[in-house]
Amino acid sequence: MLKLLSNMSFYVPELVCILTMCTLLFMEAFYGDKSKGRTFVYITAMIGLAIAFAVLACSVGNKPQPIFYNALIIDSFSTVMKMIMVLGTLGVFYLCSQSTDIYEDLKTEFLVMTIGVLIGGMLLSSANNLLTVYLGIETLSILSYVLAAFKKRDGRSSEAGLKYVLYGGITAGVMLYGISHIYGILGTIQFSEIPGLIKALDSQQTLLLLPAFVLFFVGIGYKIACVPFHMWSPDVYEGSPVPVTTFFSIVPKLAGMAVLIRVTLVFFNHDGVLQTAWVGLMQVLAALTMFVGNITAINQKSVKRMLAFSSIAHAGFMMCGILVLNATGIRAILFYGATYLFMTLLAFYVTSFIIDKYGTDDHERFTGLISKHPLVAISMSVALFSLAGLPPFSGFIAKFNILSALIESEKYSLALIAVLNSVISLYYYLRLVKTMCVNEADSSEPIEGLGFVNQAVIVGLGIPVILLGVFWEKLMLVADGAKIFIQ
Amino acid sequence: MFGLAWYLGIGFVLFCTGITVMIARKSIVAILIGIELILNGAAINFVAYSKFVTQDLDGHIFPLFIIIVAAAEAAVGLAIVIRFYQIRETIHIDEATQLQS
Repeated sequence: MLKLLSNMSFYVPELVCILTMCTLLFMEAFYGDKSKGRTFVYITAMIGLAIAFAVLACSVGNKPQPIFYNALIIDSFSTVMKMIMVLGTLGVFYLCSQSTDIYEDLKTEFLVMTIGVLIGGMLLSSANNLLTVYLGIETLSILSYVLAAFKKRDGRSSEAGLKYVLYGGITAGVMLYGISHIYGILGTIQFSEIPGLIKALDSQQTLLLLPAFVLFFVGIGYKIACVPFHMWSPDVYEGSPVPVTTFFSIVPKLAGMAVLIRVTLVFFNHDGVLQTAWVGLMQVLAALTMFVGNITAINQKSVKRMLAFSSIAHAGFMMCGILVLNATGIRAILFYGATYLFMTLLAFYVTSFIIDKYGTDDHERFTGLISKHPLVAISMSVALFSLAGLPPFSGFIAKFNILSALIESEKYSLALIAVLNSVISLYYYLRLVKTMCVNEADSSEPIEGLGFVNQAVIVGLGIPVILLGVFWEKLMLVADGAKIFIQ
Repeated sequence: MFGLAWYLGIGFVLFCTGITVMIARKSIVAILIGIELILNGAAINFVAYSKFVTQDLDGHIFPLFIIIVAAAEAAVGLAIVIRFYQIRETIHIDEATQLQS
């Protein structure tokens, strides 16, 4: 009992988040004056997350510590991943406080549920047995379903929620079926025991394990939206309110990536048939994910949907970093995650204000943005260039890291495919830049949402995108120190 | 009398039934029921493996969590289906086509 309580001291960030969640629920009950109460609620939520971020930042580099009878593991990798996710949630909170895409009489529900998803993501990134993985994925999913269907009176939003529930339920079921067979074959659900047991398997058991693992992967693949489990993603992204879409493209995706890294290293670190088969499968999936994401993005009229497909492509890129199965790859993914966060937030911020103004997000709505709001248009262009992976922006360094990890482990064909995809993605990003900066605006009326503060925030988000592209050593050092711990 | 294979067989049949229901039926409620079948198939596997193979409690704890989570998921799922029905006045999956371009 005492040991459990002492374990709690490693679990402070999550506890802070839970406390914030409860505080918000209480505030809901005493919600007084509408606009004033609303600001107060947002400030409380942001302070809570800022505290959680500070605690996480303090504990980077501590000794890895398994807690709660080995159910969770607190290592530097999970801490850095949680920091990225908390930052993403903070960005989403600000966007939500500005956006009018969510219905007006919104109280604290969005914040409470977002923090809930964040806690699920934290659980996933430090999961140390299969039960925790399952619970983390379900915590992430069940609240996400509600978030997707958030605009109660909107048919598209509820359809998005419906599609998310159905896909989510099916994949969770298939994943559980896979986990049950993994448990049967290996006789344990603890990650710390699995690598040793896998070495001792005979060939027949190994043959059984691979299909079971593929079923297990369905659940994770659905969370990171890799092909062939990506079908829900564009529809859900398009139907959900913009703050929710922003959130979906950051937190659940990174959480899924974190758990995929850990699971891959636990199961396939041992050379053999299993590893060869898995790496081969992952190569095909990563290549397909990039191609499908990028090629489908080209034809999209809605910018939100285009960003959804581009985020599928980015997931494919991050998967490339996983299948090299070494520390370079993990470092590259953490770096990619951190830079991806800022680029995506910036792109969605601008899109959100456009949607609030015009009600749609077609490409034409961005026409001549540079003459109306030059700073915003330039920041958006920076984000899009960075997403495409052009130097000197941070997206280039992120992609370069992944490519160097691929070449280091002699996966030349996949590296080639990744570069090819960068070129394809350049087309649709640059098309939007052209619409914004070259085409003439049909009217010069400004966008009300983009006041001074919001412009400053958007430019402020653009700064790390540039700075991380030039002074990347600092972040690299952090990512390099974030070692994953597997017994 | 009944060995491991029997239980795994039942689990497999439930799994396949669930998948078939989800592919063949067009009613959203039926699809949600199909999901429950899959989850139950997995739960039976866990208990069977725990009794015949590992002899530990992990395999008993897991189904308990599955039951709880399945209940939460069904609650959220049905709530969304009700909302969908109120807006669209149908629970036919083929009617959910507003989000395709």
